Amino acid sequence: MAAGNDVVSVRRGGRTERVKMFAHIVWRSIAVRSGRLGIALAAIVVGAAIVSALTSLYLDISIKMSQELRAFGPNLIISPRDAQEAAGQPRGADEALLRAAIAAVPAERRVGGSPYLYGLVRLDLGNAVLMGADLAQLHAISPYWQVDGAWVSADFDDRNAMVGRRLAQSMELAPGKTVTITGAGGEQARVTVKGVMDTGENEDNQIVVNLSLAQRLLGLPGRADFAMVSVAAQGPEADAITAEIARRFPALNARPIRKVSENDGQILQRIEGLMALIAAIILIITTLSVNATLTAMVTERTPQIGLQKALGASNRDIVAQILAETAAICLVAVLAGLVLGFGLAQLLGQAVFGAWVTFRPVVVPLTLGVSLLAALAAAALPVRGAVNVVPARVLRGE
Amino acid sequence: MSDTIPRPLPSASVASREKVISIDNLTKAFGSVRALDNVTFDVFAGEFVAIMGPSGSGKTTLLNILSLLDVPTGGSYRLDGIETARLAEAEQVVIRREKIGLVFQQFHLIPYLTAVENIMLAQYYHSMADRGEALEALDRIGLADRADHLPSQLSGGEQQRVCIARALINDPALILADEPTGNLDEGNEERVMGLFKALQASGRTIVLVTHNPDLGARTDYVIRLQHGRRIA
Repeated sequence: MAAGNDVVSVRRGGRTERVKMFAHIVWRSIAVRSGRLGIALAAIVVGAAIVSALTSLYLDISIKMSQELRAFGPNLIISPRDAQEAAGQPRGADEALLRAAIAAVPAERRVGGSPYLYGLVRLDLGNAVLMGADLAQLHAISPYWQVDGAWVSADFDDRNAMVGRRLAQSMELAPGKTVTITGAGGEQARVTVKGVMDTGENEDNQIVVNLSLAQRLLGLPGRADFAMVSVAAQGPEADAITAEIARRFPALNARPIRKVSENDGQILQRIEGLMALIAAIILIITTLSVNATLTAMVTERTPQIGLQKALGASNRDIVAQILAETAAICLVAVLAGLVLGFGLAQLLGQAVFGAWVTFRPVVVPLTLGVSLLAALAAAALPVRGAVNVVPARVLRGE
Repeated sequence: MSDTIPRPLPSASVASREKVISIDNLTKAFGSVRALDNVTFDVFAGEFVAIMGPSGSGKTTLLNILSLLDVPTGGSYRLDGIETARLAEAEQVVIRREKIGLVFQQFHLIPYLTAVENIMLAQYYHSMADRGEALEALDRIGLADRADHLPSQLSGGEQQRVCIARALINDPALILADEPTGNLDEGNEERVMGLFKALQASGRTIVLVTHNPDLGARTDYVIRLQHGRRIA
């Protein structure tokens, strides 16, 4: 008798044809409902744009915050009053004098402080700026540095150094590698790179060693260019401390680098949480909107789902089609959302930080993943409705 | 008892063939209401059988069970040698797509797929879509030139012929037609019935549900239902 099983062997085509047919069904189904699905598309575009913008900001915010929080770092600079070097006088100021000035800042207000000495040195692969500082204080003064490896935390440690990110790239240095530093007078020291720091500032191009080693390499024993102090004070109190140093050390000039605003810092810290909250709310709204659209869509196409089942479609076929339609819409919406989101991130970056936000590739899979999850979660109930369609009823128009 | 109702003897050629449908004391109850009550009959390969009866007689329930869209509460239904009452839902789906071709009164074509794509959809759920074969099927029912038309661009008669081509495309053991001419004018009704007769001549087994006695008279025999019972 005539039975269906022999049909397969004579049909032309294979898996590719099945995939093409599936893609065609999905495409036609989307195209015919473009008006209604436009609402879901718009909802996902908005959701993806917000997620993408906030993720870009979130990833950039630590750098931006570091720049903002620089005000919390060294906010008082103490330098020689007369920068002009007298003939025969070594440059800078007496290290001991600078340390005394640092010590003049009340201990309960002093977060950290160090004399600094800078000079040009030669490394294995080229020249670089050397920074000498009190390494035990550096972390306290510049907590915003992001260090790959470890900080050099002992001031007496003259065998380890820290290298700025850009300098490390150009000199092929990384934590654990050694480098020979040669001063202008031929003095040499071989040090191990303990950490590579990302500061977003000039230090990215510098190599940092302890002050005494820097003095030996630069031929400036007991000298420093200036001192920087991180003072936990603001307003009149900070001004009083500055004035007191100026009074007690007439050879030195003390001035604030920047007025500190603790409130600014706190607000910046809260922005991360706020962004996460906004993203979550937008995603919930997106999910609800997509859910409403898909539910209406499944209700509208109930007769077709019933017919497909009557023709032999399994529940898996029906679920696959609805999820593929949802995923396809989501993909298009995420692409549009990413473009919009990056623009939005620039607007927010300018408004909040006064800076452009860097494009970070990780935003793409992250936004796609989050948007897909939201859209598929939104599709869960409609899919269940589709699976529960009883063909015998809907084909009779019940 | 329904099994006492005599059934027309099949012709010698039919008798030598196997049973496509074997219904034995089939019952379907919705609560205390018996939509089908101990219905028994067989349909042999190559037969063209009509199921007739007034509204509420159980025709639709019987058709749903025959097409594996519903399950009986009692009795047995063997389709092409397979006892279907004990099949899991997923197994019923497989049997339905491989052994049954459905023709509907309302045609039920997917509105956003063309005529040929509607046929390919049945191929797709069965095994794989083959446009060439689907076009040949359209050609056989005289609609080759309408292959790329959407259902809304086809007349009722043309839509029903596409529906029939779709039902046949997987070479099913059984064609179940539910009031296939109910929405057609006289000319198209004649055309569709001619198509069914041609299909029967080529060895197909067809069960037709209809209100129309004239159509019933053109089948091999009629199974009459009343209040869920077979009366003839």
